[in-house]
Amino acid sequence: MAGFVDKLLNIDRRWLFLLVFIGVALPIIMPIGLPVTTTASTRDAFEFIEGLKPGDAVLISFDYGPSSAPENDPMAEGIMRQCFLRKIHVVICALYPLGGLQLANNSLAKVSAEFPDLKYGEDYVNLGFKDGAQAVMKRMGDDIVGAFPTDVRGTPLAQIPMMKSVRSLRQVGVVVTVATGIIGEYWITQAHPQSGVPVIVGPTAVGAPKYYAYLNAGQAVGMLSGMKGAAEYEKLLAAKYPQLERFYKSTHAFTATKGMDAQTVIHFIIILFIIIGNVATLSQRAARRKAEAR
Amino acid sequence: MNFEFGRVALVVLFALLPVVGIAFGFFVPALRARGPLLVAFFAGIIPILSLYIPKRFLSGETGMRPRLDQWLIIVAGFALLLGIVNVIQNGTRKVARREKGWPYSVVLLTGLFITGGLGIWGAVSGQGITSLPDGTGTPFKWIADNFFLPLQATIFALLAFFMASAAFRAFRARNTEATILLVAGILVMSGRVPLLEFLAAPFPPLQPAAAGASQALGKLTEWIMQTPNGAAQSGIIIGAALGAASMAIRLILGIEKGYLGLGGGE
Repeated sequence: MAGFVDKLLNIDRRWLFLLVFIGVALPIIMPIGLPVTTTASTRDAFEFIEGLKPGDAVLISFDYGPSSAPENDPMAEGIMRQCFLRKIHVVICALYPLGGLQLANNSLAKVSAEFPDLKYGEDYVNLGFKDGAQAVMKRMGDDIVGAFPTDVRGTPLAQIPMMKSVRSLRQVGVVVTVATGIIGEYWITQAHPQSGVPVIVGPTAVGAPKYYAYLNAGQAVGMLSGMKGAAEYEKLLAAKYPQLERFYKSTHAFTATKGMDAQTVIHFIIILFIIIGNVATLSQRAARRKAEAR
Repeated sequence: MNFEFGRVALVVLFALLPVVGIAFGFFVPALRARGPLLVAFFAGIIPILSLYIPKRFLSGETGMRPRLDQWLIIVAGFALLLGIVNVIQNGTRKVARREKGWPYSVVLLTGLFITGGLGIWGAVSGQGITSLPDGTGTPFKWIADNFFLPLQATIFALLAFFMASAAFRAFRARNTEATILLVAGILVMSGRVPLLEFLAAPFPPLQPAAAGASQALGKLTEWIMQTPNGAAQSGIIIGAALGAASMAIRLILGIEKGYLGLGGGE
């Protein structure tokens, strides 16, 4: 027994890696279709955007990079789809230096292609990237043109019809920060108190715990927490909008709902590893004590 | 003449004052820290005063605070430049001295110059760094889409493998605190995913019970995140904010001088 436990604890970690690889790859290749239950913070975010009127503006800030794109992309894209369906104006910006702009461009290109009737400059605008997150938010609170004189194409904001009614964050219905690091927190601590704009946050699962403090304090109106939050949002969208239900069921593209299958399997594997590791250590400790008693 | 007090005050405080401070520093070395300390004092105090004193020269559209906000964005841009200069200096030194791992520095610098060069070229030529009017991507976008995005995603994806390995080897119930952490971790990991439904999938009669138990586990997870975690996070955030505020006051009042890089004395 002791020999087996020692062997187990000293197992070549490449076996563990192989198990993890299979656990992630198989559910992506062959989706299981596990159910998703919604949480209050995601429902609050969904309902807040549902409560906006057509013509209101939503600012979606891409504050994440490619490292967390599988978690964050579905959040941003789901909210964009909801806004486009409800004729809510969408303003895009990116404050994360490591690839935020590229992800914003790719997501906007993908989702706007699904809504060919919508026009750039009238229904949605891409402001592009600006460095200095807190400083940019502070400036946007007074004057968006002061922070972004032109859009991503170099067109002055004064020439963009949609931006005539969106001059500062005070004219924005809600800021949605899809964030991987501290920039999401800046929207809550800097932009919200100074301009009063409500904030919905879409952090990675690893970053989500700290945002519960802001949710409890009412400083954030909703949260999509990690891939689960994104999958919950997709479920709410599919329940409300039949066209999106078809989209989320038929699409071959990656969605958070599909990602949850892989996440479930990998959580199971990690929990199994923790339990096996602890049981093995305990039995090793017990064997040592026994030997010492002799 | 359109006399703007705010603009003149900014010129005096952030252009004339530093020049006078530098001049004083040359002639009276003991006073060389006074200029930067005064600049820091005014840069810190003006935004605070603007929140309490509703005067046009302070917080109006073209007042001192909005202008300082604008400058802040520009200064943040320079911080990025500083980072680039630092990377180039360190990288070239490593290559020149053939220090350990120098080929990686060659790759880093090559990537920096090619990507940065294409980005600057896109800005100068007016093409931008995203898509061209015909819908095709710029060279910068090509590099970002085909090198940067997949490489970053790959590096982060490796985390799953190391986390699983670490969970197996290091996450142990060694004492009471570690055991609480372990139990909470397992509960949250189980409650965040439909784990019970997954385990019950091969056994259809068990599925309704699994769904019910999964819902209860989900609620427990939300409670852990919202109540104990939320309370602890609030404490940490409030503590950090108080620390930041006291540090800001020390900087504004010139008590904290470490950022001047003057060592022990002035």
